Amino acid sequence: MQDGDINTHDKFIQAALKGKILANKCRNCGKIMLETVYYCPACSKSDFDLVEFNGEGAVVTHTIQAVAPEGFEDVDSYAWVVFQVEDAPIRASGFLPGVKVPSDLPIGSKVKVTGYDKKHGLSLQKVT
Amino acid sequence: MANSVCVLGAGSTKYGKLNQSIIEIALNAAKGAIDSAGITPKQIGAGYISNVFGVADKQVHMAPVLMSNLGIPEVPGLTIESACGSGSVMFREAYANVKAGFYDCVLALGVEKVTHTGTTQSTTLFSYCSDFFYEGGNGASFPGLFASIARAYMTKYKATEEDLAAVAVKNHENGLLNPKAHIRKRITIDDVMNSPIVASPLKIYDCCPFSDGASAVILCSEEFAKKSGRPYVKVIGSGRGASPAAVQGREDITTIPSTIAAANQAYSMAGVKPKDIDFAEVHDCFTIAEIIDVEDLGFFKKGTGAQGAKEGTTRRDGQIPINPSGGLKSKGHPIGATGVGQVVEVYEQFTGLAGDRTVKDAEIALTHNFGATGASAAVHIFQKV
Repeated sequence: MQDGDINTHDKFIQAALKGKILANKCRNCGKIMLETVYYCPACSKSDFDLVEFNGEGAVVTHTIQAVAPEGFEDVDSYAWVVFQVEDAPIRASGFLPGVKVPSDLPIGSKVKVTGYDKKHGLSLQKVT
Repeated sequence: MANSVCVLGAGSTKYGKLNQSIIEIALNAAKGAIDSAGITPKQIGAGYISNVFGVADKQVHMAPVLMSNLGIPEVPGLTIESACGSGSVMFREAYANVKAGFYDCVLALGVEKVTHTGTTQSTTLFSYCSDFFYEGGNGASFPGLFASIARAYMTKYKATEEDLAAVAVKNHENGLLNPKAHIRKRITIDDVMNSPIVASPLKIYDCCPFSDGASAVILCSEEFAKKSGRPYVKVIGSGRGASPAAVQGREDITTIPSTIAAANQAYSMAGVKPKDIDFAEVHDCFTIAEIIDVEDLGFFKKGTGAQGAKEGTTRRDGQIPINPSGGLKSKGHPIGATGVGQVVEVYEQFTGLAGDRTVKDAEIALTHNFGATGASAAVHIFQKV
């Protein structure tokens, strides 16, 4: 978005801390996009509303990282999860601790956003 | 404007853990290319360099340093970064400049040096090639991103971990015959299946290694090539494509749109179809990538790419040999160099330098290389002269 010095990543984080996913909705055609965007890929207009969606959705795919990148070595076992946001036609990804084997998280499982961790990013929890 | 653009000479260092500085590694490949082309550095009009993590060896703005070291400080250079696809993306720019007639002869060189940083830092550096805030920053390494693609593919098409393993076994078999390959070791399906998990479902033998290395080619007009009297190879097709940067942003995670777009352009320009390709060097950074590549390039129908390695059709003596060099999996993946290394393999295959790994009766070859999880890609098609 084009709000001067306001960092869209910070806005995304603020929404995540409330359990929400922040996305851009094109004022012209209504297309919804997760990532920072200045022009709509559908209609090329550049007016957007920031919209918060409920941070719940179904697992599309995931991996359990045995060799973790820097900053994640302290986590015993976690999954990086791509999930379909329930209330919007977008997918998001997040960090889900405590997943040890694939059967802990079948494709289609429900997950929800629990916050945003400074070290680990968008934090998720399995909804049982 | 040049009628045809040709690869006149090629050089490559060994891929693996190298002790020289990144500049020395690059110069060794450059010298190999210049000498094999039978030219002097003064005949080079411009230098195109691909590199991603020069900063890890305390050197960015590499092109002018290399031109100076080659004794041609007056020659303009350009350094290009496009993650793991840097080499092919840079090759395309070098090709386009010769094709446009700006230069008769250029150096196209890719180089990388990362092994000295160790596995954790290398894994972290590579993760910066993702859309970092929205995916890498949530804990996905590159093996993790491709593992998520693998899980989606296996779920959709009922492929198995053994199917992935067959790709690794085949490429290691080819790499055994490549004296410059990083990992020259025969492996079995069981070796792959029993190797440690990196990011499930991918195991260590599903992953290419972190490699140091450099590859270089001399690109020139056909008129220049003919005058040299040296063997050369024609570039007959070139294409570029792009995909949403983040895996989560793609409607179908089991295909890479940039590959399809780049391939369609290259096939159209060359006037050939997938069935006309005699062998291909494709981007097998992970075993799942090769399975998806061979589908997106049109060699296999969607969902059937795993059959290639399993049934032998992608072996060196198969119907469509894939990665006779050993691929990224065995030859190695010095990411700035990889796309150029694929062209070096084509040059060696078509000029009688490939030894025991020569693909019999090959006349048309394809190279395919992408950056990150396929956010950027380039495909080139070559003809034996």
